[in-house]
Amino acid sequence: MLDLLATPPNPTGASAPFWDACDRGELLFPKCGRCGHLFYYPRRHCPLCGDPGLGWQRMSGRGTVFSHSHVHVAFQGGAWDGQLPYTVVLVDLAEGPRMLSRLIGGDAAAVRSGDPVSVVFPQIGERRYPFFERAAAG
Amino acid sequence: MPAVGSDVVIAGIGETPVGRLPGWSPVEIQAAAVLAALRDAGFALSDLDGLINLDPYATPNSMFSSTLAEHLGVAPRFACTVDVGGTVTGMTMLQQAVWAIESGYCDVAACVYGENALTGRPAGAQGLHMHNLLGGEEWEEPFGLHGMVIPYALLAQRYLDLYGATDADLAAVALVTRRHALLNDNAQMRKPMTLEDYRASRLISSPLRLFDCSLVSDGGGALVLTRAGRAPQGRGRGVAIRAIGMKTTHNSVALMPDIPGLGMAAAGADAYEAAGMGPEDIQIANLHDAFTISVLVSLEALGFARPGEGGALVRSGAMDLGGRWPLNPHGGLLSQAHIGGMLHITEAVRQLRGEAGRRQVEGARRALVSGNGGIFSVCGAMILEKP
Repeated sequence: MLDLLATPPNPTGASAPFWDACDRGELLFPKCGRCGHLFYYPRRHCPLCGDPGLGWQRMSGRGTVFSHSHVHVAFQGGAWDGQLPYTVVLVDLAEGPRMLSRLIGGDAAAVRSGDPVSVVFPQIGERRYPFFERAAAG
Repeated sequence: MPAVGSDVVIAGIGETPVGRLPGWSPVEIQAAAVLAALRDAGFALSDLDGLINLDPYATPNSMFSSTLAEHLGVAPRFACTVDVGGTVTGMTMLQQAVWAIESGYCDVAACVYGENALTGRPAGAQGLHMHNLLGGEEWEEPFGLHGMVIPYALLAQRYLDLYGATDADLAAVALVTRRHALLNDNAQMRKPMTLEDYRASRLISSPLRLFDCSLVSDGGGALVLTRAGRAPQGRGRGVAIRAIGMKTTHNSVALMPDIPGLGMAAAGADAYEAAGMGPEDIQIANLHDAFTISVLVSLEALGFARPGEGGALVRSGAMDLGGRWPLNPHGGLLSQAHIGGMLHITEAVRQLRGEAGRRQVEGARRALVSGNGGIFSVCGAMILEKP
């Protein structure tokens, strides 16, 4: 594996706190101050009750793999050729919401659905990204 | 429910050659498909007063309905461009045409999509090269999710895990659509495929291989609608739209419901209820097959198979010509061409008229056309009936 590659996000005012927290090594998800709904991805309102009064909850960063795919084609070509194969995962966080991420580490190719994973924050260019690694069970 | 009881029918169909059309622009392709559909219905160009299209994915254009109207040489009273996703775009075009005709905005409406997605893509691009943003980029691109194959691979892996299905289930869909494409002179894939061929095709994004993925195509398809009996060539040939069901549940794969909750089940239930029918009333299944997994999920959501048993149904021969529910007799997106699903609709009309030649489904009275755009983000089910 060459150096990790990531396309930088273009955050909005609503999502910037998520990415800024990643740069500090924290995973923050938005939580509705009215109905308590914890959700992904950040928006300016709660998608369950519509309320704009939101706060942030620090996540444990632990979860399990809902699904995964090992990618063998660089659809955007160029520098992505050097990332192949890489693994994309859907992670069910311990607190509930599901997020899409990338699974890294030497044992990523052997991942199975249901495997425990935990968040890591590799520095790639100017930012740190909430990727995951396989974790010991329990 | 949409279109039930309407006397607006599909009176004409038009298709261009598919595959590589070097030297053709998207608007030229769409115009050729519209002219073919007008000829099929017996209308003159000057009869056309409604025009609904989708602009090309590879080279997005704003205001593409007026681009096409000018290029054709018509001045319609009703024109719009519709972008919903997958074959649901085609269904929404039909819905708009029915409403426009019923409400008196126009008498003869054309619905069309076509482009040069194959010859028009940049050198070195892989798969369908889409210039459009889909809205989830901030939460997908940093993690390496590019294009449509990877999200469908995540869905396919979930399907395999949930039901204990195997690559033989996915392969069965690729094989039956290829068998059917061999009977279609206007199909990109004309060589037989075996299970060994399928397994030898390269992994794109596990578990999906090249032969799990639909084609990238140049080509166009068009439908002409008018009131029953209005078309000069339409008597006894107009195909009725009995029902259209639709459901939108999400956009990006991270927010996709688990398989039993995908919107196809709700879309199908609405269509069946509106038509007063069920799978037992259907003789042709033109299911959106952008990927093999799409067909397995749709078969189960639409009641053709029980959950997890879609692959077994396909392997049983039920979806072959001569079986209970022939699947995509034209070869589908997997083996004929990917024209946004417009050819699923033109093929259903051709079959219901009894004009499909050596791939004719005997005794076909009703066809179910399914569509899904995004990652089953928007789902549609439509029932068409012979005159």
